[in-house]
Amino acid sequence: MTTASTAKTLIEFDDRTVRRFMIASIIWGVVGMLAGVFIALQLNFHELNLASWLSFGRLRPLHTNAVIFAFVGNMMFAGIYYSTQRLCKARMASDLLSNIHFWGWQLIIVSAAVTLPLGLTRGQEYAELIWPVNIAVALIWVVFAVNFFWTLAKRNEPSLYVALWFYIATIITVAMLYIVNHISIPTSWTHSYTIFAGVQNGLVQWWYGHNAVAFFLTTPILGIMYYFLPKAVERPVYSYRLSIVHFWSLVFIYIWAGPHHLLNTALPKWLQMLGMFFSLMLWAPSWGGMLNGLLTLRGAWDKLRTDPVVKFYIAAVTFYGMSTFEGPLLSIRAVNALSHYSDWTIGHVHSGALGWNGLMAAGMFYWLTPKLYGGKLHSVAWANFHFWIATIGILIYVAAMWVSGIMQGLMLNATNAEGTALVYPNFIETLTSIRAMMGFRIIGGALYLAGFILMGVNLWLTIRKGKPVNETREVAVIQPKAKDTMGMRDTFINDPVAYMFAGMVLVLAWLFLPPGADIAALLCAGVFSVLAVKKFREGHSRWSSWYEGLLNNWLPFTVLTFVAVALGGLIQIIPTVTVNRAKNVEDRIQQIYTPLELAGRDIYVSEGCYNCHSQMIRTMLPDVLRYGDYSRLGESIYDHPFQWGSKRTGPDLARIGDKYPHSWHYDHMMEPRSTSVGSNMPAYPHLFERKFDQKSLPKKIAVMTRLGVPYPPMSADEIKMKALEQAVKIAEELKAQGKVAAPDTQIVALIAYMQKLGKYDTPEVEKKLAPQGVPFPLKPALPDSHRKSVTQNP
Amino acid sequence: MSPPNDTSDGPILRDHVYDGIQEYDQKLPNWWLFTWYITMVWFVIAWVAYYQLGRGDSDVEQIDKAIAAVEKHRDEELAALDDDKLWEMSKDAKVVEAGKAIYSTTCVACHAPDLSAHIAGVKLPGLPLNDSEWKHGGAPTQILNIIRKGAPDLTKGMPPWEPQLGIQRVVEVTAFLLSHHEKGKPVTLAADSPLKTGG
Repeated sequence: MTTASTAKTLIEFDDRTVRRFMIASIIWGVVGMLAGVFIALQLNFHELNLASWLSFGRLRPLHTNAVIFAFVGNMMFAGIYYSTQRLCKARMASDLLSNIHFWGWQLIIVSAAVTLPLGLTRGQEYAELIWPVNIAVALIWVVFAVNFFWTLAKRNEPSLYVALWFYIATIITVAMLYIVNHISIPTSWTHSYTIFAGVQNGLVQWWYGHNAVAFFLTTPILGIMYYFLPKAVERPVYSYRLSIVHFWSLVFIYIWAGPHHLLNTALPKWLQMLGMFFSLMLWAPSWGGMLNGLLTLRGAWDKLRTDPVVKFYIAAVTFYGMSTFEGPLLSIRAVNALSHYSDWTIGHVHSGALGWNGLMAAGMFYWLTPKLYGGKLHSVAWANFHFWIATIGILIYVAAMWVSGIMQGLMLNATNAEGTALVYPNFIETLTSIRAMMGFRIIGGALYLAGFILMGVNLWLTIRKGKPVNETREVAVIQPKAKDTMGMRDTFINDPVAYMFAGMVLVLAWLFLPPGADIAALLCAGVFSVLAVKKFREGHSRWSSWYEGLLNNWLPFTVLTFVAVALGGLIQIIPTVTVNRAKNVEDRIQQIYTPLELAGRDIYVSEGCYNCHSQMIRTMLPDVLRYGDYSRLGESIYDHPFQWGSKRTGPDLARIGDKYPHSWHYDHMMEPRSTSVGSNMPAYPHLFERKFDQKSLPKKIAVMTRLGVPYPPMSADEIKMKALEQAVKIAEELKAQGKVAAPDTQIVALIAYMQKLGKYDTPEVEKKLAPQGVPFPLKPALPDSHRKSVTQNP
Repeated sequence: MSPPNDTSDGPILRDHVYDGIQEYDQKLPNWWLFTWYITMVWFVIAWVAYYQLGRGDSDVEQIDKAIAAVEKHRDEELAALDDDKLWEMSKDAKVVEAGKAIYSTTCVACHAPDLSAHIAGVKLPGLPLNDSEWKHGGAPTQILNIIRKGAPDLTKGMPPWEPQLGIQRVVEVTAFLLSHHEKGKPVTLAADSPLKTGG
């Protein structure tokens, strides 16, 4: 390696930014977890929905966003800023960018904390923030990226350590996911409609949502593990080879797994199959990370007894292993039929968030604080105590959610022996049966929060005893030729990349080519793999030395990582966006919302109803018996955003329209328990006073039209007139049923929307004449259409 | 860097040091590789079976079959039912008891525990079921049908209960209601009954 250089330079690391991010993470962590405990209480005691801005539907997004972007986000930045400087032997490239990054991120968090309780939301999970904030997030992320890659370019260590690979993957992938999923057209400064609708929106949202977990909550933390864990245990990392294999397979496979959030729904089957099987294939790469973490401790297990930092890391990595085992399990369609929409999913994410992210954060903070402030940790005993109550808290929480999720899932799906009737027809009965478990959740969460606050106090006392220290170090300046010399040709035209790429093309041909050609492609892929393995065994050292060379070149490494993460999304999203459009829908097509219904829908989104209610009846008998005919793809084709939901704290609403009279909804929104005894839904008295937004309707409909919703041409006055006419009609019908509501109130608009749910038309499909001659016999199409032709032909 | 040498004792320690961190270059655990390969093979087998060999029903075929079975069962049950049979059931304490249990969770919110559709003098959304005036007809099969399919005008509030409850429970509730009435007693149609105008 290149160490011949004689030039040395003294650098001072920018540890101030690390300290700031760390303190911000702790403060926001307390806020986010406090919000979590509060909304858990609300689920048990509906009276705690104290005001419109303190209701569950608005606070739950605040909780998730605070924990993901504020707590883990700041923690991740602290870890990345600390370790990148040391692994690059260079100070962060720009103090100005570091400052903008820090303060910009905190400003974003504050704006989220203000807008979400006000009901300003995009209505997609973990993507709720309104468009001006989206732009701010994207800009600050770019600032972070520039600062990071600039530091890489200035590094005095030619070779990129595995932690940096994970940081690179994080930065480019989050940018890609975030930008694509947030593309919207504004209707005002605080509101916009996503350009994707229905199934497309579902697919893009969960491509984003799932990979927010992957590339915001997993890869950066794995990078942090690769730096901080060997530092703490002072042992070499278990296996470099495992790092390579699990890094590349993880970033490549993760992207494909998003559709596992939409199993058994109206999502086309081929996407469900890909989602399920890529999730299963993801299990081993995930465990590769866990193994590399746990086995690094070999020969130093005694540290687990004495050092709280090591305890936190090892427990965190163990929880990582547990939740990455559970994830693929939950992605199996049969298991998902039970677990989806239930508390099991909630338990799963919390074993990841509290166990993996939270404990990694704690371990890192306990290790960093004495270094960043000089001196020793105030109390090791407190840290040990924190470890135990945190672990016990998680276990109580997760166990409660397992029991709750499995029990309610079994009850909701139970049919009699002949499969002709539900065993528990009453939804509330299943809710009542999990109340105790929902109580244990509060205890577990509160214990965890208490431990976290104890950590805050412990660290604060440590900080007060010491004073900020910026580490300085003398480093050898490397010669420019020692790094970043690989050209694009060397990057792409070499055996490993060529074989991977060709193999990929063959597998895709197998998936998408018509019958006959697909099997041929699969056989070719098989033969090809054997050849590739043979070649690898012969030229083993050539492949290794190419990779070693790649590690000395940050840009080619980044480009290859981008290719790996971009592929899966492209192959799933592009066909969905081009094929699953209204003009191609065959059996049912959603009726478009009238202006009033659209206003009502925006209230539904704004109140966060989707946090507890799905609008997607799955292709499962219990769902159909309980909620009505299964949802078709075309029935949400104009929904910007889609509201399929991911959790059923209450029942599905896809076919609630015309099921009950207006008066039922009126009573139910005023006091849910008046119609549904035992319900834990918040009451919504404010809907009866506030006016629905008439002024913005023309603009909203103009945007909808631009997005392809076939509204007839209407002037602004016509739109408002139509809305009011329908509102007056509903108010009169309500009056006839003995209920009084002013026509311009939100409740009237919401009722209009609720009564529209499940209405569809059957389009007269123009029978497209089959093309006489296919120009090229191997034209790829979607797998499902091939299968259709297989089953219809004989 | 020399290629990993598998014959040497102990793991290979790579010589590069990153900020004090070194890396071993251990072989990948066999059990780990093996389970990974299984998931890949499973993917190939499942995909080939479903898409290339056409094995198994699609989701839509599966659910349509299940629903057809439910409907067949219901039609068989209905074929065996008539007014007399339902009156008979209303004398069967076991059936009535089962019907009562369903009524008290599903129906009371609108029709009141005593079937009067009033609680403490306040009118509930439902119609009274304990008098002799019926809006949709007082014959047992007419009552059964209203519970099954809901009121013809859904804005009036009676939803269809058959899908959620299943035909057996609907029959039991009908029997429970009939147990509050007597066979042969005259029934009248309400003034706003759709049956009147409909002939």
